[in-house]
Amino acid sequence: MIAFIARRIGIVIVSLLGASIAVFTVLNLLPGSPAQVILGQQATPQAIKQLTAQLGLNKPVWRQYVDWIGGLSHGSFGLSYISHQPIGSQISQALTVTGPVILFAMAVGIVIALPLGLFGALRNGKLTGTLAGVISQIGIAIPVVVGGLLLVIVFAVETHVFPSSGFPGWSQPFQALRSLVLPSVTLGVVEGAVLSRYVRASVLDQLRSDYLRTARAKGLKTRQALWRHGLRNAMIPLVTVVGLELASLVVGAIVVENVFELPGIGSLLLNAVNNRDLLTVQDIAMLVAATVLVLNLLVDVSYRLLDPRLRNTA
Amino acid sequence: MTRRARAALAASVAGGLVLTGLTATSVTAGAATTGASITIGSAVAPPSLDPTSNASAAIDEVFDYNVYQHLVQLDPKGAVVPVLATAYTVSPNGLTYTFDIRQGVKFSNGDPLTASDVVFSLERADAPKSTYPYAGLVSGITSVTAPTASTVVVKLSAPDNQFLYNLAAYSNGVVLDPSAVGSIATAPVGTGPYEYTSQTTNYDVVLSANPTYWGGAPKLSTVTFRYFSSPEAENSALKSGQIDVIDNLPNPSDVSQFKGNSSFKIVSGPTAGKIQMTINNTAGPLKNVLVREAINYATDKAAILQTAGAGYGTVIGSDNVPGEPWYLPSLDNPYPYSVSMAKKLLKEAGYPNGFSVTLTLPPYGYATSAGPLLQAELDAVGIKTTIKDVAFPLWISSVFLKSDFQLTIINHVEARDQGNYANCSYYWKYKDCAEVAKLLNAAQKATTTAEEISRYQGILKKITAAAVNDWLFNPDQLTIAKSDVVGIPGGISESFDLSHLSIGGSLSSSAKSEGYAS
Repeated sequence: MIAFIARRIGIVIVSLLGASIAVFTVLNLLPGSPAQVILGQQATPQAIKQLTAQLGLNKPVWRQYVDWIGGLSHGSFGLSYISHQPIGSQISQALTVTGPVILFAMAVGIVIALPLGLFGALRNGKLTGTLAGVISQIGIAIPVVVGGLLLVIVFAVETHVFPSSGFPGWSQPFQALRSLVLPSVTLGVVEGAVLSRYVRASVLDQLRSDYLRTARAKGLKTRQALWRHGLRNAMIPLVTVVGLELASLVVGAIVVENVFELPGIGSLLLNAVNNRDLLTVQDIAMLVAATVLVLNLLVDVSYRLLDPRLRNTA
Repeated sequence: MTRRARAALAASVAGGLVLTGLTATSVTAGAATTGASITIGSAVAPPSLDPTSNASAAIDEVFDYNVYQHLVQLDPKGAVVPVLATAYTVSPNGLTYTFDIRQGVKFSNGDPLTASDVVFSLERADAPKSTYPYAGLVSGITSVTAPTASTVVVKLSAPDNQFLYNLAAYSNGVVLDPSAVGSIATAPVGTGPYEYTSQTTNYDVVLSANPTYWGGAPKLSTVTFRYFSSPEAENSALKSGQIDVIDNLPNPSDVSQFKGNSSFKIVSGPTAGKIQMTINNTAGPLKNVLVREAINYATDKAAILQTAGAGYGTVIGSDNVPGEPWYLPSLDNPYPYSVSMAKKLLKEAGYPNGFSVTLTLPPYGYATSAGPLLQAELDAVGIKTTIKDVAFPLWISSVFLKSDFQLTIINHVEARDQGNYANCSYYWKYKDCAEVAKLLNAAQKATTTAEEISRYQGILKKITAAAVNDWLFNPDQLTIAKSDVVGIPGGISESFDLSHLSIGGSLSSSAKSEGYAS
């Protein structure tokens, strides 16, 4: 197990290095000099040259890369080109919004997916089961933006139950939670629809397996057999999916934050791209990459804990 | 997109120029709600807190005149008024400016303002290593000295009748506390009526009343600027009471949502912006002045003002807007809308069957709404137009920096920016730039106002005759507020000047005459 984890961590580090080279290369190919964007249309060539030097952008490209990676490996995200403020504190401020949105959305998704998927599997082939499938298809098909706006119309504009946009900050915990409800539900409903397809497929797999047939042959009802023997097995692939979906929720959160005007990672990233704040973009891209890789690592490890057969393989 | 723009450069291509003044001595009459808080909605969050490091007008909107002050600032009519100077004199040869520094002024951290702080600030702008976005405007300074504790003397290498105006209008003029300048990016310190409190990146900036303000206690205890990427969200935030003011309504047509509703007031004021279809004077058929004239004739500017500006603004026909000292109304429509005239000129230029062009549009409401209309109008005279939408950084790098375009639509907001026509590397590549540079040099050195005005008008006539660009309209700026908000800065302002803003109460007559809305 330890050798396994050590090897996986090695793979994570190599992948991160690869990702950092890719991110750095792509962003440095983007058109638009940061110094020109910062200083605007009337800036003198000397001022632009001076600022380029100040930002360290006149150094050789490999040097800029090494400086950046060196900083990251010491946990330093660097100073923003544009605001001259520490990027690390901007990211952690944004994470206090994006983090809860993603976790709440996943919770909403799981609460929807488990019953919907189980129901669909148990009623497979019957009209009600098909209906459950149709519902999840619709959920997947609705774009997050449209779903969000519908919720805003119903719960914010018409009934004023929740605010339509904005985030008051955690200094007002109740108001802050209230303002995260609609974004989380918007994201969570789609997530629930996606996950319910996996739940259904996974439960169906178990229902068709030999050991469940044996259990039923011994006199258990389908539901009892599933509950006692099947569910734990059905959950194994779901752990993988939930882990991977958490990573994809980061991307979904970017869209939702835009709809609900939340000051999270998404708005930080979009504004950084627009302002050519390349270092901030690089840092966020690396953070997302690291999150995905670490989640994958956790998924792999938890897999082994859930499935004893895998524990001794490498 | 006049007062602020999505990216830093938009701020200067598309940002506004400060024309709202601050006369700290005028006081509000009537009873305003004391200690009230206000939230102002706006489209673009400041990318930085430091106006001396970045051209973005979103920074000036919050910090200029409110947190930072200048020796001289602009009143709403564009006149230069003393603020941190109490008076100034100019030597007869136009080379020496002497400022009397206001006494008893303190920075918000308690440090007293001294003449040497002013010297420090101006030298910082003009230093060889300066990265001030408008450093070029102060490059004529040869020395700044403080001969006494209350005077500052600035010497120029050549007379420049725009020197005071530029000092008032641009961030070169902000007076800084040398002991606080090290943390200018995170903890701004100035002498203005409000001080910086906190910021949530891309979301809000909070200011609060500066207790040590030299002009008396400000009327609001807290001012929050809140930023909305979607105009719809901003409109609903005002309707639902989350915010009190929308500064510079992003889509002028949205004004219909608030018109006729007594809960809101609509304040419209002129800007220095020139929304224009820029013509690349070196691109194929566009080299020919007859073709550029034909494009001007083919454009129905009144219709474009209705579509892109909801009718709020003035049709223009040159780099020339009402409010500038050399404004010439006769240049407002030198090429009146005429399809037949446009066709005739195209034939004369050797393009009887027209030609094809690409119209590159940056992602601003005025450009994307005027674009299709211009496309139809050009198609009608035989110029087959293809629209290409680009993101703003791409617009900067290809259109603005490399002149890789044929036609584009953009708002040039800086006031008195005729100097762009004297800049031979400027993106529209005007052929006679060197000649304009000579004319401009002479105009700046003019020692009488009459001479200055007539020389500037000569430049305007020249660029209009050459149809360098297709100037469309000078947009008004629309501010929407709850009906009890008083003292909204009218006029042209990159700063959302808070000096007279209050909830309830009434405005002094002097503030009213300066252009603040009651």
